[in-house]
Amino acid sequence: MAQISSVEQPNMKQIDLTTLSVPQLTALKQQLDQELNLFQESLTSLKMAQGKFQNSGETLEKINPESEGKEILVPLTGSMYVPGKLMDTQKVIIDIGTRYYAEKDLDTAKDYFQRKTKFVTEQMEKIQILGLEKSRIRDTIVEILELKLKQKQN
Amino acid sequence: MSEDIQRKLQTELDGFKNNQKELQKAIATRQQLDGQLNENEIVKKELDLLPADGKVYKSVGPVLIKTDLVEAKQNVGKRMDFINKEVKRVDEQIISLEKRQDSHRETLQKLQHQFEQAQVKAAIHA
Repeated sequence: MAQISSVEQPNMKQIDLTTLSVPQLTALKQQLDQELNLFQESLTSLKMAQGKFQNSGETLEKINPESEGKEILVPLTGSMYVPGKLMDTQKVIIDIGTRYYAEKDLDTAKDYFQRKTKFVTEQMEKIQILGLEKSRIRDTIVEILELKLKQKQN
Repeated sequence: MSEDIQRKLQTELDGFKNNQKELQKAIATRQQLDGQLNENEIVKKELDLLPADGKVYKSVGPVLIKTDLVEAKQNVGKRMDFINKEVKRVDEQIISLEKRQDSHRETLQKLQHQFEQAQVKAAIHA
């Protein structure tokens, strides 16, 4: 797929936007709108992932060796619980993706969630920067489009 | 004459649209594979971080089954090899579909040009 960027890059041609025709500009704007939408969607899912990792990390803080033997309610379904007792509070089992689960002690588990939260946050920042750049280009295109349409009317 | 060109134009346009659909499907597959590859890479990194005696489980339906760490690593590696091969295959498919798309576009333009000329001719005769 063709890339749109405001900074010059190898394998990319610089185009003076004012030389483009109205249909060409409209097509460009549509493509940018699509990309911006995709960014927005990605940000929403990343935000959800970030929340989940943070939540899991915080939950770990509440588990300590003194929790051993304490009573908990285990959810069997969304609305049904059975009483249980906490055993072995030194270790937790974590979903690491593609249906694999790894057993980790509390410290490495905390480290895991911190790493994941950091990773997701970094990805979000990257997308935000890219989105900002694209929306700037989009604004310029809209400006030129309006200018051209005005010229046509006169 | 002009009807003949119109028919050809229609067939060419249908071919173009079909090709476009196939291309979009291939691109969607490619993106899905990319996602899978990424996920597997992340899992591999996590497995590599585990100590040699680390316990790993695999979820099969509603239960977790204990798995050998070495075996798990091998499995993920195999899956990545497979996905990489698929990526290569789909990439080739995309390239050939794009080529076909270009040639379709060219023929379409030619036919459209012929069609317009025929119409002009018909207008003069009438």
